[in-house]
Amino acid sequence: MQVSIKWLKDYIDFNETAEKLADMLTMAGVPVENVIDPGEGLDKVITGRIEKIEPHQDSDHLQICTMNVGNSENIIIVTGAQNVAEGQIVPVAMVGAHLPNGMKISKGKLRGVMSYGMLCSAQELKLDLETLPENQKTGIFILPADTTVGINVKDHLGLNDKVLEFELTANRSDCFSVFGLVREIAALTGNKIKWPNIAVKEDEPTKISDCFSAEIKDHDLCSRFSTRMLKNVKIGPSPEWMQQRLDGAGIRPINNVVDVTNFVMIELGQPMHAYDYDEISGQKLTARRAVEGELLHTLDDTSRKAKKDMLVIADSEKAAGLAGIMGGFETEISEKTTTVILESAKFYGPSIRRTARACGLSSEASGRFERGTDSENTLRALDRAAQLLQEMGACNVCTGIVDVYPQPQQSITVNFTPEQINQHLGTAIPKQTMIDILNKLEIKTTDNGADITAYIPSWRNDISCMQDISEEISRIYGFDNIAATLPSGAALQGSQSEQQTFIDKVKDLMCSMGLYETVSFAFTHPSMFDKLNVPAEHHIRQAVPIMNPLTDDYPLVRTCLLTSVMENLARNFAHKNNDVKIFEVASVFQPVNLPVTELPVEKTKLAGALTGRRNQLGWNQSNDNLDFFDAKGIIEELLEKLAITRYTVEAGEHFAMHPGKTAVFKKGRDIIFQVGELHPSAAVAFGITKPVYIFSADIETLIKYQAKAVKSKSLPKYPAVSRDLAVIVDSTVDAGLIQKTITKSAGQYLVNLDLFDVYEGKQIEDGKKSMAFSLMFQANEKTLTDEEIDIHFSKITAELEKSCNAVLRS
Amino acid sequence: MEQQLSQIKSEAMAAIKAAENLTVLNEQRVKYLGKKGSLTAILRGMGKLPAEDRPRVGQLVNDVRKELETVLDEQQSALKEAELTNRLASEKIDVTLPGRRQEIGHLHPLTLTLNKLKTIFKSMGYSIAEGPQIETDYFNFEALNLPKDHPARDMQDSFYITEDILMRTQTSPVQARTMQSHEPNSPIRIIAPGRVYRRDDYDATHSPMFTQVEGLCIDKDIRFSDLKGTLTTAMRQVFGKDLELRFRPSFFPFTEPSAEVDISCVMCHGKGCRVCKGTGWLEVLGAGMVHPRVLEMSGYDPKQVSGFAFGMGVERIAMLSYGIEDLRLFFDNDLRFLKQF
Repeated sequence: MQVSIKWLKDYIDFNETAEKLADMLTMAGVPVENVIDPGEGLDKVITGRIEKIEPHQDSDHLQICTMNVGNSENIIIVTGAQNVAEGQIVPVAMVGAHLPNGMKISKGKLRGVMSYGMLCSAQELKLDLETLPENQKTGIFILPADTTVGINVKDHLGLNDKVLEFELTANRSDCFSVFGLVREIAALTGNKIKWPNIAVKEDEPTKISDCFSAEIKDHDLCSRFSTRMLKNVKIGPSPEWMQQRLDGAGIRPINNVVDVTNFVMIELGQPMHAYDYDEISGQKLTARRAVEGELLHTLDDTSRKAKKDMLVIADSEKAAGLAGIMGGFETEISEKTTTVILESAKFYGPSIRRTARACGLSSEASGRFERGTDSENTLRALDRAAQLLQEMGACNVCTGIVDVYPQPQQSITVNFTPEQINQHLGTAIPKQTMIDILNKLEIKTTDNGADITAYIPSWRNDISCMQDISEEISRIYGFDNIAATLPSGAALQGSQSEQQTFIDKVKDLMCSMGLYETVSFAFTHPSMFDKLNVPAEHHIRQAVPIMNPLTDDYPLVRTCLLTSVMENLARNFAHKNNDVKIFEVASVFQPVNLPVTELPVEKTKLAGALTGRRNQLGWNQSNDNLDFFDAKGIIEELLEKLAITRYTVEAGEHFAMHPGKTAVFKKGRDIIFQVGELHPSAAVAFGITKPVYIFSADIETLIKYQAKAVKSKSLPKYPAVSRDLAVIVDSTVDAGLIQKTITKSAGQYLVNLDLFDVYEGKQIEDGKKSMAFSLMFQANEKTLTDEEIDIHFSKITAELEKSCNAVLRS
Repeated sequence: MEQQLSQIKSEAMAAIKAAENLTVLNEQRVKYLGKKGSLTAILRGMGKLPAEDRPRVGQLVNDVRKELETVLDEQQSALKEAELTNRLASEKIDVTLPGRRQEIGHLHPLTLTLNKLKTIFKSMGYSIAEGPQIETDYFNFEALNLPKDHPARDMQDSFYITEDILMRTQTSPVQARTMQSHEPNSPIRIIAPGRVYRRDDYDATHSPMFTQVEGLCIDKDIRFSDLKGTLTTAMRQVFGKDLELRFRPSFFPFTEPSAEVDISCVMCHGKGCRVCKGTGWLEVLGAGMVHPRVLEMSGYDPKQVSGFAFGMGVERIAMLSYGIEDLRLFFDNDLRFLKQF
């Protein structure tokens, strides 16, 4: 919605500048997005007559113009334009002008001749080129010969009317009209409204009801259908003042009948349509649902297939238009039209919205119907339109109306007390102030003593309860005038869930180990599953599809966080970030069934990737790349700090991981962590040539195994004894098995076990490896003797020989 | 003998003073004071002296010994000190070389901003609530007084999964979920942070996924002025105590009255700049008094309790806090960006 200041001033006086008014309206909930100044930059552009043209001595294309700009002295302007002639009146940008295209005019020499300004083209004045005749689109803009010399071009061209461009909220359908805005201005300024006298003289004895009828078949989609008939219609241009008003509203003038319907729509908020009476078959219009597939020839000369829920206006033969959206081709007003049926109706907003969207036809009219028009306003609009056309001498108005309005709109009243309002707002607004505000908004009131009754006008379909009244009062009273207080009720403890605290801790720990947190879109693409090596039948491939994805890149909601991790990794590689340590905690969405019939299961996952150098580049740092054990170490450290203990680690499988380099951390049957090298096929698919280590865990599962409370142990009183143990085993024997065997057979005094060396090579037989452990024994109640430790130590070696085929290394 | 003694003394003195290092010094100690040293030899030779001379000569020898010992000790200290000085000088390292660092990662700037907001609101008695990101049309729209075909649904074009299931367009559905899980009319103070989704083109200021924090406060006698006070307190904790707030009347179907909340521009402090498009104000919040129908639909009685709700975009606040100009940086996860926080 946009409207010019002049149009508003037709109905209400105010002294505020356009900018100030815009601010007042914005702060009252009628947001002005922009104040458009069509004359911006034209302050120093004035009309001037070319008195004399002389050729330039030093140029074959420059000419020297002596200009009369209304002053006693003429000025010299050198121009390169070729379409100028003596006696013409043209726009002159004087020295100091700052044109709309950013050009600043100053005096200067052109090939040795001083020039004191510039002659302007239409483009330089930022005029609407489309509305100009061909010969005025280029070259200097030539003004009519009778133009007064020395006046501002802005005034002469009617570019002195600023325009307010509104960004209205969906609830204020009444403000999509000049009348609605004028009411707001009246309430804000306290100034009196000068409503136009809307009255029509029926100067044509023909009674509309004798030669035309209307019917509503589907009352749910059309609740009122009002018409008037105009005869002896003379199609022509509308008057200049109306064209200017429409221009300001962003509507291009077409002809008097169309312009008047548009004018009334902007003025009163009631969209209208004009039919050529002679083209209406059966002289009857019916508002009805379309028959599925029914063909519609709309006035844009397009053939459309209507759907059965769309409302059409039909004559006896065919649908003659999509109600509220676009008229029919055959019944359109043309040069030959002499008799017109004006339609002013109330259509059901949601239906218009659906239809407009389905047809991709949104217009000023459909927008107003969508938000809801005032069904009590249809006759006024008819009268206003007939009156305007009559005043132009463009028609005679037939007697009577045809108005189908089976169920008139019920008027609404709201009862409230000033105390309720003040309690809701936290204010102490006096009763009389409330009443005054409402009355200025044309909401009538009666003071019943105990409470107040507000009579809601038909155009305010957004008011139905006390809270709505409080909004009206507060927005005019001013939100700024309401104090800032804090809630008084009982103090509540702010808390967060165990899971939220756990996630915070996980994130902090990951950061402390050098990883960076990422945040990714929750979308993915099926090709990501292929790249990540996800098996054909895997549940991860059963992702939720989005009905209306933004682009083809992201048609699915992710089921696996690693897809996002890999995208982030690839993006970093593309930016030449080669050392990447990242993690993310985020949701994945697994549908219960496909197609989706209920909400998917949302799980919170932790996943990440590591690649590149272990340490930051440094003169004294090793330049080694990190490996599997860096990744695994991070997981081990994380689990320890999360107080998740007594898990097992074994070689395992994960579709995205190298089958020989995948560790699975388990608690009982639950997998709590998977870490491994990115599967070589996945690496190829992502175009990655160096080892990447990835990990993945399920937050809900991790939480399950978190130790609930940490219990401190007293420090040992007796010394610990350290023993080293080196064994030679087959290369295929896992360290985990040896460790488990040692732990199992060591007895109660083994308090620590560290693997400190693994060796294959010289001095060790082929197919064998040596592993060296440091064992620490300690008792809480005594100092252990060598003899006691020897007993345990020999049990260990015996067990190692038995179950791991280990040989003690001497 | 006395003459001999004096000669030894002067000789020894000279030798001690000439000793360049501890080894040489020690040799001199042995040479003069050791078991086979010259001074010791004189003591041994005392037997040949007459008895009456012995005490005097003994005293003389002891005096010389003491003198020599003192000089020896002094020389030793001096040499030790010199040696330490030398060692320290030789051990000097270039301390301007970079240290060996343990790299620590960073939380994402959105998490940092969110954590800040959580801390502020927790201190004001708000608990953290969560809800599903894929939501029913009922909770996302209808329970918030946005029936199907409501024109306000245009404001937030949604990603639909089915006719009735969609990617939530706001964290507001957590409002209705929280109310419905509470005893009717019991007080509530929650904030609901989380990701939300809208069918917006991806550009410097729009993203199909972004982060919102929704707030809800319900109790007896909650007023619009309480909303103003709460948001003023919270936003001043985020952006500083001199921050100004401006409440503009607006429209949300789930609140009445509704307000858009602007803060004074954090870049130019209200003077007007490129970031605030010359207005001096930045829109950061939507808020209002919970609509009575929203309360009713979730089993609360608007005659008994009232409440306010607010919602803010975390990206917007993070962008203003850190001076980030392109929203896409948050989701590109380029380490050169992530390492700045």
